[in-house]
Amino acid sequence: MGSDPVLKKRRAEWLVSLPTLVWLTLFVVVPTLLVFAIAFRPANPYGGIGAGWTLETVRSLWTPSNLAIAGRTLWISLLTTAISLVLAVPTGYTIARASARWRNRLLMLVIVPFWTSFLVRVFAWKSLLHPEGLIKKALETLGLVGPEATLLYHPAAVVLVMVYTFLPFTILPIYAAAEKFDLRLVEAARDLGARPFQAFRKVFLPGIRRGVMTAVLVVFIPSLGSYIIPDLVGGPAGEMLGNKIAQRVFTDRNLPHAAALSAVLVLAVLAPLVAVLVLQRKSKRADIVMGEAP
Amino acid sequence: MAEFLEFRGVSKRFGAVRAVDNVSLEIRKGEFFSLLGPSGCGKTTMLRLVGGFEEPDAGRVFLDGSDITGLPPDKRKVNTIFQSYALFPHMTVRDNIGFGLAIAKRPKKEIRDEVDRMLELIRMADQAAKKPDQLSGGQKQRVAVARALVNRPDVLLLDEPLAALDLKLRQKMLIELDLIHDEVGITFLYVTHDQAEAMSLSDRIAVMDGGRIEQVGAPAEIYESPRTGFVAAFIGDTNFLEGRVLDCPDREYCRLEIAGLAPVLGFNDRSLHAGQPITLSVRPEKVHISHDEPETKPQRNAFRAVVEDVIYLGANTKYWVRTGGHRVQVLRQHDRYFLDEKPLRWKDACWIFWHADDGFMLDQFRKADEGLLAVPPQRVGD
Amino acid sequence: MRRSRFPIAVTALVMAFFYLPVLILVANSFNPARFSSRWQGFSLVWYRRLFESPEIWQALKNTLVIAVSVTAVAAILGTAAAYALHRYGASRLQKVHYTLIYQPLVVPEILMGISLLMAFVAAGVPLGLFTIFLAHVTFCVSFVAMTVLGRLQDFDFSIIEAARDLGASPWQSTRKVLLPVLMPGIVAGALLAFTLSIDDFVITFFVAGPGSTTLPLRIYSMIKYGAPPMINALSTLLLIVTFTAVLASQRLARLKR
Repeated sequence: MGSDPVLKKRRAEWLVSLPTLVWLTLFVVVPTLLVFAIAFRPANPYGGIGAGWTLETVRSLWTPSNLAIAGRTLWISLLTTAISLVLAVPTGYTIARASARWRNRLLMLVIVPFWTSFLVRVFAWKSLLHPEGLIKKALETLGLVGPEATLLYHPAAVVLVMVYTFLPFTILPIYAAAEKFDLRLVEAARDLGARPFQAFRKVFLPGIRRGVMTAVLVVFIPSLGSYIIPDLVGGPAGEMLGNKIAQRVFTDRNLPHAAALSAVLVLAVLAPLVAVLVLQRKSKRADIVMGEAP
Repeated sequence: MAEFLEFRGVSKRFGAVRAVDNVSLEIRKGEFFSLLGPSGCGKTTMLRLVGGFEEPDAGRVFLDGSDITGLPPDKRKVNTIFQSYALFPHMTVRDNIGFGLAIAKRPKKEIRDEVDRMLELIRMADQAAKKPDQLSGGQKQRVAVARALVNRPDVLLLDEPLAALDLKLRQKMLIELDLIHDEVGITFLYVTHDQAEAMSLSDRIAVMDGGRIEQVGAPAEIYESPRTGFVAAFIGDTNFLEGRVLDCPDREYCRLEIAGLAPVLGFNDRSLHAGQPITLSVRPEKVHISHDEPETKPQRNAFRAVVEDVIYLGANTKYWVRTGGHRVQVLRQHDRYFLDEKPLRWKDACWIFWHADDGFMLDQFRKADEGLLAVPPQRVGD
Repeated sequence: MRRSRFPIAVTALVMAFFYLPVLILVANSFNPARFSSRWQGFSLVWYRRLFESPEIWQALKNTLVIAVSVTAVAAILGTAAAYALHRYGASRLQKVHYTLIYQPLVVPEILMGISLLMAFVAAGVPLGLFTIFLAHVTFCVSFVAMTVLGRLQDFDFSIIEAARDLGASPWQSTRKVLLPVLMPGIVAGALLAFTLSIDDFVITFFVAGPGSTTLPLRIYSMIKYGAPPMINALSTLLLIVTFTAVLASQRLARLKR
């Protein structure tokens, strides 16, 4: 007697969920599995995927140049994440502390650049950093650099533009966490004798740690898979994993290699995701114990 | 003959929780009937079972003779006033009220006339074009009432409709609901955790706890003759004295042995026998307090006591006294100019007394029921 | 209590950092000089060149056709997904559902691009506007779903029960109550999808075929292979379009119910 409405509800649930479930399985899950599968196939010399299975493709990943690129990708991503956090935490804090009117304005100011075309923004930096560009000319006038110096085509340029791109995404979760954080706790710490930086380090930072974790994810993972930025401003010295993959696909026409590299990237991306998930669950449990979370 | 709205052996569980546990209840046509109880007692689930938003796991629900169990909400001649009012934010007051009639495909003129009639009833004819976000809490509630009533349902279901209002507004809306019920005359099923609401509005009340009905009756019946410790403590304040029946010298009264006190006289409405364990309950307003020993009267219980706490409330004072090791609450009304009298103060010796008729014996008493009373602590941290 | 000036200083720096390149780019779109460091007076020459360029118009047409169709499909799929996630949230199916929807949001675009490319190649689907359409829907659905889901969190479901209570059938209550009230959120999601589609580069780059150029692809080739100043003008125009679309989306997402 009671089972019928339950069945009806179950059927309704499946009906509404089915379209996206099917679509996403078809266009996300299956392609990802395919990438892993193709990584174990040999390359067809005329471009495309050869027949049969082999471990050769995967083994051929282990070259000094590939390792250098992987290392550089990791290093650039870590640096970008670190710099973004250092800039985002004070900014998020300032916005959370601002009056309601200013808060909205500041948030708007942070979000608006995100609304503009991504390519356009990278291109803006490319012209700025160009030998004939504004920044170089300004530095030249100040006598800081010679006329032959290039600011482009260097890992530093990649880091700069990546920080520029990902900073809004970093600021927002930190702002959200800072907004929920009761700033009176910092006042209480000061009242009990802590100096400003102590209060910041021991009370504020742990209080917003979930926002920080989200912020880290939002920078680190896209950085790992970055393609356009190193392509336009990185040059050969700033080549990253994404560039290598694209090169394998379009220039070398070696899909299995590209697939193998992509598989590596997938694993590299999964690691921080899983780590943050575990950390978040631990932090949630800590919050419950401390009475902060329901 | 079956009553108008009937629950027969209804049970509903959510996961491991038995929200409604084998409940049978009959509600008369035209009654203002309240389901009263603490959060989680099952009263809202009972309401939703009538509205059709939940289906019982066992038992059936009958309305005006027909079995409505299993019917979806849109097919029941029942309308609900939700706790959040649930007004359609994208429609005007007029369209909100007329929604049910429009769905029923009534002629446009009829809808317009009926809605106008309702607007008159709730005195909001000049606000008909407003949207819900432009209305105050009280106005939203009235629109919700009109939207339900315009469909002339057999039963009107009200889910804690006054919970979201502040005190003054709540008092005003209480009176309005009462008036509406008198004017319209349909059966109201009202859910609340507020005893004052239930007592002042209802013809009959069902007190619920843990998915079961503890007692059904008129407000005065529930207040003056509660059958269980839960009902006695949930509604109003009371004192609990546990003990045993010593003997019953005449059929009307029994002598009770209560630790620390001389034998207490209690009214025997339960054919008690000697040796039976019993809990005596006396409401504070029935207990009197004085400096000096009162006159000895036939059915009067009188005991020496010491004042432990005094809470002066203006119109009356609550005293907590200790007698024979028991803490007893006394409510004294000040019907004379207070400042002329010699008040009782902390640590004063005094006498408390009550008539045996004014106490009642409970069918069932659990230690947990005492937790429902608001008793001041004896020490910091109690 | 002395408030430290440091956070405010950093914030001001960050804001300047954000806007400097964009402002210079916009300014330069009106600068007829070849190199941006020299200002040669206000001019619309690059805009004129843009309008006279047929490849740009073709790319624009492709971009719009794709964006509109993607928005329509993603809006429907995304709304249904958000409804399912919210209404049946606790069930195991929805937990799986949520993980799937979450994927396109966290995965780097290059991975999506290459996996879709391999899938299309393996399935023998010719690369072209259709594959771009399929790819765009895939990531736009997630964004629409998240936007609508956000609105649903604030949604008072008792109004649906109220509609049923007043005699509406499930379909009637969806049509007359659920959809109208949810519409601002749906439109906000749709606008977001539109913006993402016209702006996407990496995924499009991987799954596009010869002859199916979108505006971002054209911009990229212009950046790599010449005519830099025209890009300033094109970028400025794109800025205005996406800016307007997202502004509208934000306003709608915050509309009072």
